[in-house]
Amino acid sequence: MLINAQLLFKIAACFYGMSLICAFVFGQRSRTALLVLVLGLLANMAAVGWRYWLAWPMLPMYMGPVVLPLFLGVMLALSRHRDGGWTWPAVLTLIVVIALAAVLFPKDYYIPFVKSQTIWAHLFFWFGVAGRGCFLIAAAWAMAGLTMGRGETERGRNGDTQFKSSPRHPLTPSPRHSSSPASRSMLWTVWGFTLWTLSMFTGELWSYLGWGTPVVWDDPAITTTMATWFFYICLLHLHLTGSWTARGRGMYAAAGALVVLVLNCVPELGPFRWPL
Amino acid sequence: MLELAVSQPNKSASSVVRLVWNKLGSIHLTVILCLLLTADLTIGYICLNRRTILFAPLNDIGLATWIQTYGKSNLVYTMWFFVLLGLLTLLCVNTFVCTTDRVVSLIARRRHFRPRRLFFKFAPHIMHYAMIIILGGYLCSYLFSQVLITRTLIPDVPFNLPGTDARITLIELDPLYYKGDRLPAFEDRVLQPRAKLQIMDGDRQQSAMLTYNRPLRCHGYSMFLKDFNPKRKDGGMNRKVRIDLTIRKDPGVILYLAGIILFTVGMAMYLAEWMAVRKG
Repeated sequence: MLINAQLLFKIAACFYGMSLICAFVFGQRSRTALLVLVLGLLANMAAVGWRYWLAWPMLPMYMGPVVLPLFLGVMLALSRHRDGGWTWPAVLTLIVVIALAAVLFPKDYYIPFVKSQTIWAHLFFWFGVAGRGCFLIAAAWAMAGLTMGRGETERGRNGDTQFKSSPRHPLTPSPRHSSSPASRSMLWTVWGFTLWTLSMFTGELWSYLGWGTPVVWDDPAITTTMATWFFYICLLHLHLTGSWTARGRGMYAAAGALVVLVLNCVPELGPFRWPL
Repeated sequence: MLELAVSQPNKSASSVVRLVWNKLGSIHLTVILCLLLTADLTIGYICLNRRTILFAPLNDIGLATWIQTYGKSNLVYTMWFFVLLGLLTLLCVNTFVCTTDRVVSLIARRRHFRPRRLFFKFAPHIMHYAMIIILGGYLCSYLFSQVLITRTLIPDVPFNLPGTDARITLIELDPLYYKGDRLPAFEDRVLQPRAKLQIMDGDRQQSAMLTYNRPLRCHGYSMFLKDFNPKRKDGGMNRKVRIDLTIRKDPGVILYLAGIILFTVGMAMYLAEWMAVRKG
């Protein structure tokens, strides 16, 4: 067959690259860049759908680096914020980097395994990808905040604040800061943490039903999943304590991109393969 | 004078206890512990990736036996795991102290909130207690689980569940095969190995179906399908029918499942309040 899922994904990666170039040439939110991005998303969606169709009802293996650009791209195409500074090109760059890595270092040639025929396996995968996507977007917003130099200026609040009768939620910034890059970064972090936690829980349920134990020690990825969870717990608590400056927290949130890429994307990559 | 002398050491003792309590419940300690856990688990990934074989037995043999055998004799690769246990213990203590302090404070201030708002204020504390329950469940599971590793059943030969009158017999393997030609590697391969079992428990007799991801429970034991044969329609190299089971009695399961549910409920409450406040 001339066309297959791998080829479709390579086409998607090319479109993503072209979209990034268009963003730099014609402007960040130019129609050309958006149109090329949408074409890339359609090709990526077809590649993911194809892989799923092949493996169904099992879970396709090592699909993270193929689905992550799709998630990030959809979020980017749907985003309405025009004051994001470098957020748009930063996320687009992440999409290109991840898609390129998935093309050059593929690992998705493994056949699926029979034990993955459960809703928990699929939920584990999709929550995980969405969680990673949210963390990366949070990091992009944090970077935008740092480069724009108008990050959240308040030093944060003590955790005790939540006991005062103020109607504000501990993780909700004051109205003055509600549209700042730092608060947007926090919003994505909270959603990322929620989805990541759900991914861990559904993974544990799958692990229990399939192997009888909540942690399967044959898979080293369990440690990086937990490491990422604790990394973001730390960020949420830093926001509550205000023990770091807003800039420090912004840098920590931006470093989250590195943590997610190194701990959760790199292990899903295989050996180098020439793409043509 | 004497009363003063007695009350003085009591006062200083209680202030030391108070100081230790406050330090243990400090949110700054939480931050430090989380950073250390992130670093330790990253090192753990490298060790686990290089020596998976050292850690795989943890699935079956229990923590105490694992420490005595694999753990102690390969400290270069297992040290991170011992550090992880220490850090998680500290985190549990820290979470318990910090959360308890805040719950007590919240209850004391309950009159300041409307009932609905007070209800949502408990959300983060539910999540924190749930985390302790989950970790407690894991510990319980690794310390007190009874695991019968790989029991093989062949048709019509009963197996006695230890310490019970229950006898389990494999009646037949009724697999569902992969249909279609989407994945050539799966052609004629078993997609769902459905093992029909008969359970005789005294005078009672019942049938049950065991397959992947659907364990069977009997007398507090959970039975998980580990492997089976034959794997192809034509039988392949070996056509003899057999199933391999892992049988576990795990007192921690109920705890960590309850913890997971509780954490999810707390998280849902927290998000609901957070979104409501954001919308104003």
